[in-house]
Amino acid sequence: MAYQATRNRRIFVLFLLPVVAVLFLTTIYPMLYAGWLSFRNYDLAKPFIPRIFVGWANYAEILSSGTFLHALVTTLKLMAMTLSIQLVLGVGIALLVTQRLPGMGVARTLLLIPMMISPVIVGLVWLFLYFPELGYLNYFLSLVGLSGVGWITTTTWALWAIAIADIWQWTPFIMMGTAAALHSLSPEPYEAAMIDGNSRWDVFWRVTLPQLKPVLISLMFLRAIDAFKIYDIIFVLTKGGPGDSTEVLSMFIYRESFTFWRMGMGAAASFVSLAIITVLVTFFFKSLNRDRSALE
Amino acid sequence: MSSIALEKVVKRYGAFEIVHGIDLAIDKGEFVVLLGPSGCGKTTTLRMVAGLEDVSDGKLSIGGRVVNDVAPKDRGVAMVFQNYALYPHMTVRQNMEFALRPLKLAPGEVDRRVRETAAILGLDALLARKPSALSGGQRQRVAMGRAMVRTPEVFLFDEPLSNLDAKLRTQVRWEIGKLHKRLGTTILYVTHDQVEAMTLADKIVIMRDGHVEQVGSPEDVYTRPANTFVATFIGSPAMNLVPARLMGGKLQAEAFTLPLPDRFAGRTAEGQAVLIGTRPSDVTLTAADNPGALRATVEVTEYLGDDALLDLRVGLHEMIAQVPAANRPGNDASVHVTFNAAGLHLFDAATGGTLLS
Ligand SMILES: Nc1ncnc2c1ncn2[C@@H]1O[C@H](COP(=O)(O)OP(=O)(O)OP(=O)(O)O)[C@@H](O)[C@H]1O
Ligand SMILES: [Mg+2]
Repeated sequence: MAYQATRNRRIFVLFLLPVVAVLFLTTIYPMLYAGWLSFRNYDLAKPFIPRIFVGWANYAEILSSGTFLHALVTTLKLMAMTLSIQLVLGVGIALLVTQRLPGMGVARTLLLIPMMISPVIVGLVWLFLYFPELGYLNYFLSLVGLSGVGWITTTTWALWAIAIADIWQWTPFIMMGTAAALHSLSPEPYEAAMIDGNSRWDVFWRVTLPQLKPVLISLMFLRAIDAFKIYDIIFVLTKGGPGDSTEVLSMFIYRESFTFWRMGMGAAASFVSLAIITVLVTFFFKSLNRDRSALE
Repeated sequence: MSSIALEKVVKRYGAFEIVHGIDLAIDKGEFVVLLGPSGCGKTTTLRMVAGLEDVSDGKLSIGGRVVNDVAPKDRGVAMVFQNYALYPHMTVRQNMEFALRPLKLAPGEVDRRVRETAAILGLDALLARKPSALSGGQRQRVAMGRAMVRTPEVFLFDEPLSNLDAKLRTQVRWEIGKLHKRLGTTILYVTHDQVEAMTLADKIVIMRDGHVEQVGSPEDVYTRPANTFVATFIGSPAMNLVPARLMGGKLQAEAFTLPLPDRFAGRTAEGQAVLIGTRPSDVTLTAADNPGALRATVEVTEYLGDDALLDLRVGLHEMIAQVPAANRPGNDASVHVTFNAAGLHLFDAATGGTLLS
């Protein structure tokens, strides 16, 4: 018996090994290595120089550097712009496509397309639209008598250009989640409100929205994590420019690591980002739990 | 002037007609119950009155005003839904307050109404709870409270008790009855439970397949059923129906002959095919030598406590008798029965309509 149990246990571990190995190689090892790197001075341009231990120097430099803080602020700004507009648009469109109107099923499917395209392609599509001289967007604007703007070439518009592309791509995600949640709400309270004579506005604010809140928080949370890591669209459209107007955290990390070859700095910046996301997650779960208990 | 009036009201879904030209007048303050088997169109009719479904054809008036094209909120009705339809994220108090919002009352008045209603329905202690923290009976009372705070002209109830257990059902039924006496509001109430209908209604409307079969007081529909459908639908166990023919002034059934009671004189034709209806309680055991005693065999005896139900075979006919349980015969016993002539019903075999109308 004892022999059998040990044997089974060994086989059990054996079967787990490949998964553990893959996890280790792709996630745990790089993370540990990055952690190790973040305390070293490692210049990839001079790989022969020993990787000296520098303590918290990298972190200190990052947190006191104007560029990092600027990148952090730009990231949060972009996040605020995209998330708020995606929320309003996504919920609005969801309310529209869940109406029993002809063509809504088709509309709903078509609206999901942007979400299925890889962000790099989305970036390229919008690059064509934004192109200063040849871009369609300015062409269409000229048709209605508006003078075009330098979408990706001026510091005024570049961040908005990125926000618009991101909003185009990810509003459908909010729409889809919200529409699903709307379908799961029971119809009778709405009939009751109809008989009692509550205004549509009142019903939306006081019946629909409170019931959607947990779902909306989850959707916003997923979007926030993505927005925090936004990279591909910016890389294709502006590479962080003009100037540093669209340099977000991931662009900062990329530049530190692969333009200036300062791997230690890049690793430390990654860890600071990770810390910020972790705080975000904790805060989110707290608020969601509070909300759950409020619904019960 | 009637409070609610339906004239030839029809409901169609596409080409499919569900409700076939219903006529119904409900007086102010009346408690009217729509009763019928599942799928007969009760809910559909009620929802048309509420304005949640369009009227396909005919005229629907509330308080003397045609409301076919009037929005639900402007009809002066309040509805209590079968599954309560409470706002799940709101407390009991908020549920009631939300129903009052469109009336734009002063905060003091809102508070007064909520507290008054809560007191009537015994919800005082529950005002701060969410629906998920309430029992079924409590939710039911909240749903009623939400309808009551608005002090509407008409209450609409759709099977409000069907989700409750037997004991709670009796209790809440009682409360609804008391409430009606107290408020005197017109009530249109849908159910497929005849006990609810008999105990609550001033007037019962019996429906089948989108038609009204009979309208009358509980006593009317029980003692003077208009046709065999009503006769067998109301009363439990169901009325016995035995086919017979009128021959020489007597009712000639396969296995027995009965004298025609006087009240049917002149209402029948010689040779007419009829159905003899007797309530199980009108089938009584008797001594063999009594005049008119019929031989019967007891197939099964069902003991109910005070009473027993006997599944009888009288010749070819099967029927049920409800007798005192004390000296009930056993299975397969051979007995003699007689029918209480005063409780005899006759229906035309072809149309099913009563011969007394
Ligand atoms: N939207 C609809 N489209 C087509 N037919 C419908 C629709 N709604 C209801 N019906 C049909 O109308 C008939 C009456 O339905 P209704 O809900 O009024 O029955 P009911 O008398 O309330 O029955 P129950 O006691 O089971 O609640 C049913 O046969 C039902 O299938
Ligand atoms: Mg129904």
